[in-house]
Amino acid sequence: MQEPVHERLQISPFMAAFIVMAMQFGIGVLGFQRIVAKEAGYDAWISIIGIGLLVHFIVWIMYRICEAVDGDILTANVYVFGKAIGNTINSFFIIYFISACVAVLGGLVEVIRTWMFPNLSPLLFGSMYLILGIYIVYGGFRTVTGISFFGLVIPSYLLFSFAYAIRYGDFTNLLPILDHSPLELLKSAYSMSFTVLGFGVLLFFHPFIKNPEKSKKWVHGGIFLITLIYAILAIISFAYFPPALLNKSIWATLEMWKIVRLPIIERFEYLGIANWSLIILPNVAICLWTASRVIKHVFHLRQRKGVWFVAAICLLLILIVDSRERMDMFTSFHGKIGFGLAFVYTPLLYLAIIIAKKVKKK
Amino acid sequence: MNNFFKKKKRWLQKSERSVEKQEQEIKKSLDYSKTHFINQKNNKTFTLTFIQTLVDDKIVNNNMLPPLIEEEIASVKEVEKRLPMSDIFVSKDKNEIENKLFHGYVMVTFDDSPEEFAFIGAAKNIGRSVTSPEIEFSVVGPKEAFIESLDQNINMIRKRLPIKELIAEEFKIGELTKTKVCLLYIDGVTNKQIINTVQQRLSEIDKDEISDSSYLTQIISDNGNSPFPQLLDSERPDRIVASLAEGKIAIVVDGSPHVLIGPTQLTEFFNSFEDYLLNWILASFIRLIRLFAVTFSIMITPIYVAVVTYHYELIPKDLLSTLIISRRVIPFPPILEALFLEVTIELLREAGARLPTKVGQTIGIVGGIVLGTASVEAGLTSNVLLIFIALSALASFTTPVYQMSNTIRILRFPFLFMAELWGLLGITIAFGFLLTHLLRLTSLGQPFMEPIFPFRVKDYKDALFRFPFNMQAKRPIFLRTEKPQRFSEEKAKKKKDIDE
Amino acid sequence: MKKYFFIPLLLFTVLLAGCINKKIIDDVNITTGIGIDKEGEQYLGSAMIPVYNPDKSIENFIFTAKGTVVRDLMFQMQQTSSQPIVGGSLDVTLFDETVAREGIPHVLDVFLRDPSVGARVHLAVVDGKAKDIFEGKYGDRGNGRYLAELIESNYKTGNLPLTNLHQFLHDYYQKGKDPVLPYLRQTRPDLVNIAGLALFKGEKVVDVLDENKLFYFKLMVDYYSEGALKIKDEHGESFIKSIHSTYNFKVKNRNPYKFSVSLEVDGMLTEHTGKSLEKGEIKRIEKQMEKQIKKECLALLERFQENKIDPVGIGHFIKTQTRNFDIKKWEESYQNASFDVDAKVKIVEVGVIE
Repeated sequence: MQEPVHERLQISPFMAAFIVMAMQFGIGVLGFQRIVAKEAGYDAWISIIGIGLLVHFIVWIMYRICEAVDGDILTANVYVFGKAIGNTINSFFIIYFISACVAVLGGLVEVIRTWMFPNLSPLLFGSMYLILGIYIVYGGFRTVTGISFFGLVIPSYLLFSFAYAIRYGDFTNLLPILDHSPLELLKSAYSMSFTVLGFGVLLFFHPFIKNPEKSKKWVHGGIFLITLIYAILAIISFAYFPPALLNKSIWATLEMWKIVRLPIIERFEYLGIANWSLIILPNVAICLWTASRVIKHVFHLRQRKGVWFVAAICLLLILIVDSRERMDMFTSFHGKIGFGLAFVYTPLLYLAIIIAKKVKKK
Repeated sequence: MNNFFKKKKRWLQKSERSVEKQEQEIKKSLDYSKTHFINQKNNKTFTLTFIQTLVDDKIVNNNMLPPLIEEEIASVKEVEKRLPMSDIFVSKDKNEIENKLFHGYVMVTFDDSPEEFAFIGAAKNIGRSVTSPEIEFSVVGPKEAFIESLDQNINMIRKRLPIKELIAEEFKIGELTKTKVCLLYIDGVTNKQIINTVQQRLSEIDKDEISDSSYLTQIISDNGNSPFPQLLDSERPDRIVASLAEGKIAIVVDGSPHVLIGPTQLTEFFNSFEDYLLNWILASFIRLIRLFAVTFSIMITPIYVAVVTYHYELIPKDLLSTLIISRRVIPFPPILEALFLEVTIELLREAGARLPTKVGQTIGIVGGIVLGTASVEAGLTSNVLLIFIALSALASFTTPVYQMSNTIRILRFPFLFMAELWGLLGITIAFGFLLTHLLRLTSLGQPFMEPIFPFRVKDYKDALFRFPFNMQAKRPIFLRTEKPQRFSEEKAKKKKDIDE
Repeated sequence: MKKYFFIPLLLFTVLLAGCINKKIIDDVNITTGIGIDKEGEQYLGSAMIPVYNPDKSIENFIFTAKGTVVRDLMFQMQQTSSQPIVGGSLDVTLFDETVAREGIPHVLDVFLRDPSVGARVHLAVVDGKAKDIFEGKYGDRGNGRYLAELIESNYKTGNLPLTNLHQFLHDYYQKGKDPVLPYLRQTRPDLVNIAGLALFKGEKVVDVLDENKLFYFKLMVDYYSEGALKIKDEHGESFIKSIHSTYNFKVKNRNPYKFSVSLEVDGMLTEHTGKSLEKGEIKRIEKQMEKQIKKECLALLERFQENKIDPVGIGHFIKTQTRNFDIKKWEESYQNASFDVDAKVKIVEVGVIE
């Protein structure tokens, strides 16, 4: 259907899981607890698990889509809708990934400016970060995968730091369980979906996986692990904060790090924020790569040039979205679009492919 | 392709030149010697032409002249048959003259047939004798190191791998130096693709002078712009032999005591051969310490600068008082303090490298102690920072491979710069750049970061740790060798029951 | 070619870098203690800064300012300081009783909003003026450290419950629980004493517990409390140190509310003034201790009821057992609740002699 990717440029099936995990674990982790507890209160961890299961289902559909057209989603769109409409839809993805990059990087800049360096210049920091992202993309998809791997493995020790919060937490805060109506749980699951949206990138790099069949178990395992981490983190946060306080804390995860005290490090949250810039590096790199790849596919502009174009737009947007309220609006808007793409568009596309296949056979 | 044609043209031009013309050019050198002799048996005159400084006159006087003069030899062909020397061949090719004369051959021509020449090998071999390795010294194990002679080096390797599968391919590289370069590999074990890559690269080299194997490293490396070396070099024959047995290739360069090995990975630059000579638990422990030392060496000064400049909150209270008191009198911001000390250490290192041994040691010690103490007393630097910098300099010396230790020296500076800019955040970004750079590196086409990434669990047995030999029955995956099994695993692992 | 483009671009970006605010450690004034007193109608704020001498001794320097808003106090202090005053390493914050009884919500807001204040800052209410306490010289690590460690070590092996900034905020925002803070008093120019526990209703202090009641309070609030208690019976006095304790609440009845509180203590006998221990003596001491605990804990619970405060967290407990909990209804029913305290003491160790 499209030229197959050279074996030398492909990644092993095990690594595919890391890309999906890296995309799901972004800036949302720092403050998702408040959002998710708004509707379902301290039963929200159930909603998190619920949305996790739904994600598994959607990922299954995504695999089917890619297998059906033997390519990626760009091929699928063209197959179903023809070149003109298909490519119009495809170019929409460029905007989506640019906005994902802005959401993540802008979020990081906001956190740094609030917590660490109030007069950090977003222009300079953003440019430096984006240049690093471009450098990664220049290395090819394998380098992007490598960064995803390290961006997850190296900061994984941070998970242990939450043990301190457990010690100071009161788990009876969670009782009584299921004190909320199913509607509230659903609403909370909806707001959680914004945080875990990254898995959609699978549709774009499927041709780069060696033996995609083998990667299925790894990817599903990875998504399960991420869901688990989010749920456990939520539970720990609920034990640590009373509901009224959680409602006020924009970045609950960072607040939880304030209580950590190690023999040589007093205020752990600064270390955590510095590490966070490593955690979202894969997000930025993957977004840049995907956006420039779609540009290459639709507009036939070389990826080496396209990346700079994408990065410049990201930088511009970061400079525009520079206050708390704007950031809020932007992220919720982006989340809504992402939700639509992932949970509505993808199943519909799959149905469309099945129908198209039957039609084309005739 | 273009190069190939150019070379052919030059060859064509050469054959136009006659013997006389060549002689005129060579005659300009004082060590050119052309003597006529008369054979006693048949009164034929023959000429011996050779370059005096390259030829061992003992061989000429004792082994060549007596039979040439006394025995019944009338033509060049008979020279080849009758002379008791092994390295003789006959040729009509005028282009060979320059080549062979300058490699220490003696040219014999009979005056009545001046178009035929016999070349007899009589080269003088001056060189070092085999000594112990300077850089890769090991307390236990063999203490032989390579010397500058290609033949001697290959002798040392072949001694240890007496099999017919060890192939030595020769290349002559360099317009002016015509350096003999030898590519070694074990046929049937080493991956053909790697061999092809190296062969292709070696034959494409278009440089006039190759004096050392490090020239080759820089030319045929995948990424010449990276501060990281991509081919390992070693002066120990046993290390070369171990690498060849794993499935790597070795490149020996005439005139260089360092032999190149490829393809390599990042972790190999932190492995010393002595690790294989010790017990595996000790070896793994020492390797981990080395890795820790290297990380410490790169990071500690930037972390100090970042924390003291931007992140005072991170410092535990007791340490805070020590640091503040130590910094109280210092007029500079921490970054200048750190740069001052780093540059001083670099100066000490460079100066110590240039001075002859006897003077060098004293200056090193005196300079270090005096400069250090005096600068603390004068209030130019803090004693805490001095300790960190001294430790990090020390830690950077633990790298067994010299080229890598140089790299680590400079890596510190970008980190320092970023620490000054954005504190801990800057260090993380610098780390991101470093990581990306390493991920993009390849060594002879294989990813440089294996087995860390792509993640190959099985290869960890010899990368960060060193597991016992009976667990190393398979060759490293990244070499994609043709024979992955080294020896029978079951036999090695067989265990007996209690009291059996 | 593109590769070479990166480096000048980086340098360009970086050289343009406006610097971010530096906080070089010897160029800032690191506050270890903040005090808020009431003087007339205005607040008197004091900030305690350790001064590190070359001979490794530490002196304390105090900035003061008067004002009506807390942030204003900080700003005024800054105007007399040659170096920026920063609060990232804050150890303690003290309030005098007047301020505490009037309420400290705005102070809390300052703490909540500023990310540079750690969560392990210790808060306390003082008998007298905070500034006076700061002017003493305690210990050899600076006053801030002394005070912080005083509170912490008394939490770990003494009778104080856990009270740092995080715990205070947690209890303050928790529905059905009221926060508590240590109550300090300066007894000598170089010693500060933990004189009791200040009980809050919301953000105001309404009552102060005496130090001899602290053990009982801690039993009901913390697990594994390691406090100590004096038992008096006809055979002499004994001093018991608790190694391990657990508490358990149960709802016995809903309308009106009746709670049963069961406490278990494993203790170690550290001093006994009577004769050497006879066979039944330990049992008697245990029984006496149980009696004391029952009586005092019940008294405490009823005292809290009277003052309409709930530092033990009965409200929170009942919330975890009820669906669709209504806080207003609970607050009305709290007055009519009754408690049943049951204690079980086991003396596990008696030292190395009989």
